[in-house]
Amino acid sequence: MTILIISTCSEKLSEREFVTPISRIIGEHAYKILHYTECTEENISEFGKILICGTSLQDNFYQKDIDQFKMILINFEKPILGICSGMQIVCTIFEDKIIKNLEIGMVNIETLEKNSLCKGKFQAYSIHNYSVGNLVYFTILAQSETSIQVIKHKTKDIFGVSFHPEVRNESIIRNFLSI
Amino acid sequence: MKLAVLFSGGKDSYLALQYASVDHKISCLLTLESEKEDSWMFHTPAIEWTKLQAKAMEIDHLTSKTSGIKEEELGDLRSIIESAISKYSIEGIVTGALASVYQSTRIQKICNDLGLWCFNPLWQMPQNQLLQELLSNNIESIITGIAAEPFDDNWLGRPIDSECIDDLISLESKYRINPAGEGGELESFVLSAPLFHKSIRIVESNKHYSNFSGRLEIKEAFLA
Repeated sequence: MTILIISTCSEKLSEREFVTPISRIIGEHAYKILHYTECTEENISEFGKILICGTSLQDNFYQKDIDQFKMILINFEKPILGICSGMQIVCTIFEDKIIKNLEIGMVNIETLEKNSLCKGKFQAYSIHNYSVGNLVYFTILAQSETSIQVIKHKTKDIFGVSFHPEVRNESIIRNFLSI
Repeated sequence: MKLAVLFSGGKDSYLALQYASVDHKISCLLTLESEKEDSWMFHTPAIEWTKLQAKAMEIDHLTSKTSGIKEEELGDLRSIIESAISKYSIEGIVTGALASVYQSTRIQKICNDLGLWCFNPLWQMPQNQLLQELLSNNIESIITGIAAEPFDDNWLGRPIDSECIDDLISLESKYRINPAGEGGELESFVLSAPLFHKSIRIVESNKHYSNFSGRLEIKEAFLA
């Protein structure tokens, strides 16, 4: 089934940095890219999986549209992977909270719980001003010294990663595609 | 958005500039001239000729010297970006960063501190694709620096055309080089491109070469 890649970038130029690399990794599978403003509950229902991409450090426009994300995604029952801002989005649609958390550069991550996306200790590339905290609806699968890095919804196949797996951790995206 | 482009004169920073210019106003180019040839952050051969490229594109150009000493040069980068904020009220920076986490992390930190957007439109682009983008966008560039086996002095000044790209790709597997020079194997200089109102003609140049390492010194060039 076709995969939907959702852009959260308010600037088209940022999509070359945050969306195009993801599309290259999943290129062997059928996919379609939509900006979140183009998505409706109806038009995303045809897709088999959804990846929600990250965006630039200064780009917080998506945070104003959480209600729209909630309307679009809350009833989608197939796997979702939220990357960086995408992780913040999947948390907030279930009422978990976004917190201030600056990370720029490579971070050391430790897996806490056996899961489908990652294992052991690894390094990952992070650029974000926000993360998530005090989770109620999600389980923490991996973390760095300073923040939550990989999460999964307690009952659904909805995942989030705070770092950018398209840089040096492509296997995480491929593992998600195998779910 | 008003943007400044970190501009080295090579193929990557030019291509990033061209992509950014589609939807944004390019207020100025920013060039740091490193006093060290092996700068960690900044491309060096023919850097003094970026002023002619800026003139060819009719874009304002801010330049500054940097020591080229690791980490110290970041202070020089921050200073030139602050000058661009003060002079042009820029809202963001564009870079030609392709895969270097070292470079991109440091630029992202400076931009975040200064409240600027940071755009890296070539980020994670496969190197073969980048080389093909040069052809499909009619970007004429030459090789001005080499730093890896098996490059000999015949590569200095060589146009990056389809034959050159085929040769670079064929060397990738045998010598494990990055065909677009992302590992520092190659440096380039753009002579003509869609944003150039005039082309650059090199009248005189010297090759400096020793043991798979060399640079093309441009002695005289003009716009035509």
